[in-house]
Amino acid sequence: MKFWKYLIIVWMSLVIIGGFLIQIPFIPVLEQTARNLFFHVPMWMAMYIMFLISFYHSINYLRKANWSDDIKAQAAAQTGFVFGICGLMTGSLWARFTWGTWWTFAEPKMNLAALALMIYVAYFMLRSAFDESKKRARISAVYNIFAVSTIPFLLYVVPRQLTSLHPGADGNPAFSEITAAELRFILYPAMVGFIALSCWVYNITYRAYRVKYISEQIIRNPL
Amino acid sequence: MYITQLLFIVSNMFQDSTDVTPVDTLSQVYSDKWITAVNQGEGLFASFMSSNNLIFVVLGVTLIIWTVLIVYLTRVDKRVTMLENKLNNLSNEA
Repeated sequence: MKFWKYLIIVWMSLVIIGGFLIQIPFIPVLEQTARNLFFHVPMWMAMYIMFLISFYHSINYLRKANWSDDIKAQAAAQTGFVFGICGLMTGSLWARFTWGTWWTFAEPKMNLAALALMIYVAYFMLRSAFDESKKRARISAVYNIFAVSTIPFLLYVVPRQLTSLHPGADGNPAFSEITAAELRFILYPAMVGFIALSCWVYNITYRAYRVKYISEQIIRNPL
Repeated sequence: MYITQLLFIVSNMFQDSTDVTPVDTLSQVYSDKWITAVNQGEGLFASFMSSNNLIFVVLGVTLIIWTVLIVYLTRVDKRVTMLENKLNNLSNEA
């Protein structure tokens, strides 16, 4: 196992301990759930990074038609999807105890985030619909480029134009000077840590698919 | 009988009605027992864990989950490395 993976273990353990133990200012309604910021927000950051990696490899596949780019795009999209599900679930639980409901259709960011993940469900279903690997790689690369390009609109542009309880609505940035400064000491390391963790998961997923692909090739054309 | 009680509790957990004032039946029934459980702060560990509104218990739970996840991730990583080595040896032999 590579050095940076051990670094992630130590780094993220410190982030979790710090996230629980630092003194945070009292914020009405949020109270101690303000600590969720350290865990809920980095899920989405990790998802964005993974989808960007996926986007890059899908474009690369269309340019060069290397099978490894197709597998990388798939592995990154899957990892991003898992982190997105975590973000949605943690957001729902947080909403229950601050907004008073598990889910509300009046909340644009929540619903559009769910929609974004559904667009990715369609990507995985599309992938499973092909038997021939080159056709699957090409068509899913095209679809993936479309899927990634919807993300900024669904999660940034549209929610900011609408009224919402979620921070980052009504034209405001999500994280502004009204947010307590102390929270940043853990939030930024947590973002770095969770993004690095998602890279680790992506790395394992990619390598597993690579082994699968190569062994299938060997079975088809014995050495 | 227990199943119906369990279902009742679970269905109440997910009810979002705000007009019903929540009745904390659990602590009414168990509060005596809970007080003794919380005040078991005799040892150094127990008194540490029960300080600060029990936040350390939540931290402990989170760290257990994190540790198990990391052990799992590490093992999968090593297993994939093993498969990669096997595959490399196979293609080198050919």
